[in-house]
Amino acid sequence: MICNKAKVLMSAAVDGELTTREEEELSEHLSECPQCREEFQDAKNTKIIIQERLVRVKAPKNLVDSILKMTTAIP
Amino acid sequence: MRPKKSGTTTDMKQTQKGLTAQEELKHQEFQQEAVPHINSLYNYALHLTMNPDDAEDLVQETYLKAYKFFNSFERGTNCKAWLFKILKNNYINKFRKNAREPGKVDYDLIKDFYHTIKDVQSDTTEAESDFFHSLLHEEVYQALQSLPDEFREVIQLCDMEGFTYEEIANMVESPIGTVRSRLYRGRKLLRAKLEDYAKKHGFNTDNGD
Repeated sequence: MICNKAKVLMSAAVDGELTTREEEELSEHLSECPQCREEFQDAKNTKIIIQERLVRVKAPKNLVDSILKMTTAIP
Repeated sequence: MRPKKSGTTTDMKQTQKGLTAQEELKHQEFQQEAVPHINSLYNYALHLTMNPDDAEDLVQETYLKAYKFFNSFERGTNCKAWLFKILKNNYINKFRKNAREPGKVDYDLIKDFYHTIKDVQSDTTEAESDFFHSLLHEEVYQALQSLPDEFREVIQLCDMEGFTYEEIANMVESPIGTVRSRLYRGRKLLRAKLEDYAKKHGFNTDNGD
């Protein structure tokens, strides 16, 4: 496998969305390409950073209250 | 009081709130399945509209519609994905189809959210000098925000909300292969932006030195 194809697969690999065959191909390539191994680590880090740093805000209380009220009042 | 035959009149029997037993069941199920996703939906709406008032309206309308059509929700499937889909459709109808502009983007308000969060969460034990960890909430947020819509959206749905490619494909009405390639390209762009921020922090992001 060439590095460019491995890079495309990495993105789906961090999401656990590769087929078994693709997974095998990627890990074979990673075992012999240190640069792509590093790249893969960065790909994983990027996902972690997004998950960690983009913390969710809470919905305003009045919105939550009005939704709860709405679903109680309407049959 | 006349004794009732069991099972025949339960649907019509009124509860204390004035709802029939069937309505009461729907209400309870909705509370359990749909209501817990308010925060996620609000965040998604906020990112779509970039305006807290519009986001509130959108979430409110989504729940109203979801409650009305709750019978069409396929039990056992992902309720959060179903709600997101309704919200997205609502957003398109409201802001795109009628060519109505979303309200003015309230950058200051959104920036404030992230400042608050940053203050609360800055006590993580990351001693690493890794450039990724040097990034601030706001920088990651800005980097994501600067991506074209179609890239930003799939990254949000995948990384922040944890949807599968199949669920995302259904929400954005594109094939799974498109979702996959948008994620790949979007992340590549995002990484480049984040590296720019990292360089400003004085981290050398080149390999090997």
